[in-house]
Amino acid sequence: MISGRGGSGARGARIRPPRRIARPNAPAEGADFDACWELLREALRDIHNKNCSRLSFEELYRAAYKIVLKKKGDELYNRVTKFEEEWFAENVIPKIEQLVTRSLVNIGEDRSAATSANERRQTGEKFLKGLRDTWDDHNMSMNMTADILMYLDRGFTQADPNRVSIFATTIALFRDHILQSKLDATSDRSVVDILISVILDQIDMEREGDVIDRTLIRSCSRMLSCLFQNQLENEHEKLYLVLFEPKFIEASEAYYKAECEHLLRQADASSWLRHTERRLGEETDRCGTTIELETLPKVHQTIDNHLIKSHLDEFLALDVTGLRWMIDNDKFNDLSILYRLVSRIDEDKTALKNIVQRRVMELGHEIEKTLKGIDFSMGLAEGEEGGEGDKKPLNPAAQQTAAAIRWVDDVLRLKDKFDAILKECFQEDLVLQAAVSKSFTEFINVFSRCTEYVSLFIDENLKRGIRGKTEAEVDIVLEKAIVLIRYLQDRDLFQTYYQRHLARRLLHNKSESHDVEKQIISRMKQELGQQFTSKFEGMFRDLVTSSELTTGYRDHMNVAGEGEKTIDLNISVLTTNYWPAEVMGRSTQIGAESRVTCTYPREVSRLQASFEQFYLSSRNGRKLTWIGTTGSADVKCVFPAIPGKSGALAKERRYEINVPTFGMVVLLLFNDLEDGASLSFEEIQAKTSISTNDLMRTLTAIAVAPKSRVLAKEPLTKSIKPGDKFTFNNSFLSKTVRIKAPLINAVSKVEDSTERKTTEDKANQSRAHVVDAAIVRIMKSRKELSHAQLVSEVLNVLVGRFKPDVSLIKKRIEDLITREYLERPDEDGAPSMYRYVA
Amino acid sequence: MASGEPSKYVTLVSGDGFEFVVLREATKVSPIISGMIDPRSGFAEARDARCVFQEISSPVLDKVVEYFHYWYQYRDNDDVPDMDIPVEICLELLAAADYLGLDQATMNTRQWS
Repeated sequence: MISGRGGSGARGARIRPPRRIARPNAPAEGADFDACWELLREALRDIHNKNCSRLSFEELYRAAYKIVLKKKGDELYNRVTKFEEEWFAENVIPKIEQLVTRSLVNIGEDRSAATSANERRQTGEKFLKGLRDTWDDHNMSMNMTADILMYLDRGFTQADPNRVSIFATTIALFRDHILQSKLDATSDRSVVDILISVILDQIDMEREGDVIDRTLIRSCSRMLSCLFQNQLENEHEKLYLVLFEPKFIEASEAYYKAECEHLLRQADASSWLRHTERRLGEETDRCGTTIELETLPKVHQTIDNHLIKSHLDEFLALDVTGLRWMIDNDKFNDLSILYRLVSRIDEDKTALKNIVQRRVMELGHEIEKTLKGIDFSMGLAEGEEGGEGDKKPLNPAAQQTAAAIRWVDDVLRLKDKFDAILKECFQEDLVLQAAVSKSFTEFINVFSRCTEYVSLFIDENLKRGIRGKTEAEVDIVLEKAIVLIRYLQDRDLFQTYYQRHLARRLLHNKSESHDVEKQIISRMKQELGQQFTSKFEGMFRDLVTSSELTTGYRDHMNVAGEGEKTIDLNISVLTTNYWPAEVMGRSTQIGAESRVTCTYPREVSRLQASFEQFYLSSRNGRKLTWIGTTGSADVKCVFPAIPGKSGALAKERRYEINVPTFGMVVLLLFNDLEDGASLSFEEIQAKTSISTNDLMRTLTAIAVAPKSRVLAKEPLTKSIKPGDKFTFNNSFLSKTVRIKAPLINAVSKVEDSTERKTTEDKANQSRAHVVDAAIVRIMKSRKELSHAQLVSEVLNVLVGRFKPDVSLIKKRIEDLITREYLERPDEDGAPSMYRYVA
Repeated sequence: MASGEPSKYVTLVSGDGFEFVVLREATKVSPIISGMIDPRSGFAEARDARCVFQEISSPVLDKVVEYFHYWYQYRDNDDVPDMDIPVEICLELLAAADYLGLDQATMNTRQWS
């Protein structure tokens, strides 16, 4: 930084030797060591007596400087040390001795001594104050001394790396002569021991709620931080860390252990939570204001271990205020605190997680249990229209629907509850979220009818529930439905049910809004993939094409029709694969009747032929099958005036009756009949060749149902039996012109147990194929796999659709081996290996 | 920069009686002067904000003061111009620098409680 230009000048500048300015009066001028030392000694005394304003720093510094220059540094060093030792012995130690009283010594040794807390605090504070003042004086003096002796350190001490600076030596005197001395002859405790126990005693007082002088204790802890175990002044060997902190932690441990046991005896988890959280805050506070901040993590760990962890399970298991109670009573505050505390001690929150999971399961099973306990036969569910009668007991289907809705509502309510807890209390913790979802999945899937019920719930909502709701409200319903679907494991079963319910809604125009239908399907598509919803989308496509076809056919008939009276045809052309088998009349695949048969009357057959011709003219190679079970027909009926009757019956009445297709077929039979003639059940069946079951249902609609009793039955019972006779009901009367015969459908809305069995069987059958496909696909790419690997891969692939039994997978593997898709390579004696056969 | 200090300046006096008024901050480079004028210690120099250096002559102290300001001005800079040192006084200057502890400006690391 500083550069000279010596020797370069042409004028030949000369370097002046350092010279002294003669100061005859200066005391230290030219004096020897003794004079200088005398000056310094006086100054040290003045410094201790806080009387240094008359001292000249420069003079003193110069004195020390001179001594060092004269190579007498070591002697100065020793003399200063000795001076300070003497000063301690004469002036400081007696003061401290006075402070150390009998009662003070007792503080550390016997807490429960007769002295009251107040007395103890005062004695302690007096001692701390004395010690602090002494320390402050000493520290101040030593800093000043070190300042004027700065040249000693630079010129002498630092010349040898083993020497310790004069400040370190003199400041350490405090440790050696005061803190570590045993001033009370009757006790083997040194001052520092007493100091620490006094501090701890004060802290305990504060923990008990007393007010203590925090700054005073802070000064003392600062003092311990400034002093070191030895002269090396290693940061880790501060007296604070070496002596105070371990004892503090030990005392805290004991304190919190006792406190925790006390709280446990009170058996109130809520107050335990609040107390613990308060303690954590207090210790943070204490480390910030009373002792050193570096202790904070350690004392927090002490609390974690003794106040939280040690009895966590006991507190959580408490009956009245434990975790279960908190969950059941929505104690959000408690739960939030609990979450914070538990996350302190355990990343995974195992204890919390387990209990929450168990509770979800319990509550889930409870839903199922109450469901079984409730009698739905009396139509208690919300606004449920009891079948055809108003106050009549619900029919079984409606009962099931009510049960399904009840179940779904309960599950959603439970879900809402836990969502709220997760959000409000558990800070949307991922571990807990996953755990709760898992439990929901588990208990929902344990309930065997979950898939059907979820689909029924959606069905009910789309038919009635969303009427008069705003878009936002509809959205919430949709979201709920999706949430439930997400939990389902047997998605293929759900798909079957949904397909069936959707078909019913679409074909019978029960759906409230096609927009909402499409929305929910697009959501399912997002959640479960294209494959899952392709059939549903196909169903919608079919309907669109069908309505185009209907108008197309009508136009065609208008042009081509030879002005003859036509029947207005509304056609739905359904693609076999998209629609449920039951709708497509394949319900009795295995049984005797493989198709729904019916002999249609002439008019209708002609219409069918004409449409088929129209349809096939533009499409090649398709086959149309007529399914009577799902259609309906509007039939205009004329009832003759009945002579001898008055009122409405005296006039001719025309009604437009909406009946199922088969109903139309049956009614048309009576066109050809003479008045008053009757047909027996067998005769009707012979003429129409409708299957017995279908015919029974049809006749129920038109001969039994009170509002649409177009046919009179003999005998007049409520059920249809073979052998019954039917006549045209001439005296039929209705208030409205348009009448709708109730749909008594083959595809019942809710399954009874045998039907469910068939559904499951069918599902298992199709599952077998899906598993086959999965195995072949996996083996094709992997060539060789062990049994365990293959099984786990298959489970993995199918996780989005259903959860196959391992036994099923095993069976399919065996089957594939016999069909020579796979083989077992025998040669290397690995029995559980499979190889793909190309 | 401690606020509330008596003055922003201190007076340095050479052995032959010349007075130099220096920015207090600029003298911080010397641990000796820092200790001297530290208001906590209460030495005579601190009280009067006036330090007398019996052993240093005015040309040398002049250079020292120049250095103080030089150091203060460039304390945060990297690219620093050289200072001009007259050859004649360089030995005396060296002795003064040693006396003032300028060779180890960071030495004073002790803590005051």
